[in-house]
Amino acid sequence: MGRFPAFLISFIVLTIGATPALLGAETVWSGLVIAENVAQPKPIPTELTRIEGSLKKFFGYNQFQVIGQSQKILKTGQEDWLATSKFFGLHVDARGETEAGYVLNLKLYKEKELLLETDTKLSKRSPLVIKGPQVGGGQLLLVLVVQ
Amino acid sequence: MKTFEEEWTAWVDGQLSGPELSEFEASLPDKAAAEAEKTGALKLGELLKRELSARTLTNEEFFSHQLRESVARLRETPAGQARERRSIWWTIPRLLWTGGASLAVFLVFTVLVMHEKNPAEESQYLTQILNARVDPVVSPNATVSIFEVKQDRVTVLWTEGLQSLPADYAAK
Repeated sequence: MGRFPAFLISFIVLTIGATPALLGAETVWSGLVIAENVAQPKPIPTELTRIEGSLKKFFGYNQFQVIGQSQKILKTGQEDWLATSKFFGLHVDARGETEAGYVLNLKLYKEKELLLETDTKLSKRSPLVIKGPQVGGGQLLLVLVVQ
Repeated sequence: MKTFEEEWTAWVDGQLSGPELSEFEASLPDKAAAEAEKTGALKLGELLKRELSARTLTNEEFFSHQLRESVARLRETPAGQARERRSIWWTIPRLLWTGGASLAVFLVFTVLVMHEKNPAEESQYLTQILNARVDPVVSPNATVSIFEVKQDRVTVLWTEGLQSLPADYAAK
């Protein structure tokens, strides 16, 4: 066996071995979050630790609590799901997958009342935060993260 | 009954004797010319023998040369096969070297591809808001804005003027 074929085979094997890490089903975490300023803030939920700095800096609150959430594994990119709390519901309708992420239609309901609707391209690398209505002294936030 | 040619050949070769020889020599029209021809034929035979001997020697040398080459080839073959065997089964350092080199090339290509892709396609790796709507009846003064926090690659859809709700709505 010559050096070049062996080199080529090694290269192909390494490339193929690395490829599966880049492919496969993705999990989207969607959450309804209440942001508040309190004297003794609770630790931030693990799903939000990645964007903790941005949340605190951008919204100016020191505590973030999840009041409703949903984790969905996207296989076809055509799934839909609902994250709910007692009064709010976030309906997510996936409408296809692109190289960078998923095309989603989001609807925020207060009970049965539609408050907000948006279409978005959710990137696999880039979380989405939506500022919702003010709730008491805090703020409702909608967060979507591809895990 | 022998033909004349057969008797002539036997006479030239000295194989005739006795009455057969006498009869043949008597039948010759010119015995002196026949003797001269016989002498010439014998000389030619000796010459041919000499030449044939020389050719035999040449063939010997040729075959000897061929044999020497065959022997040399046979002697070389085991070493050649051994060399081939060594080249088929790689040594660990050579495998490590090849693996390392392949990995290095792979990383270089990956870095180059990522480097080329990032500037042009950076925006597609940030979440994009395609459109946003609020219910004008419920929140007539509501507005929406879009921000991108590039530090954490966070996209923010910022709404203002949505209807405020009491704290009870924060219940799980």
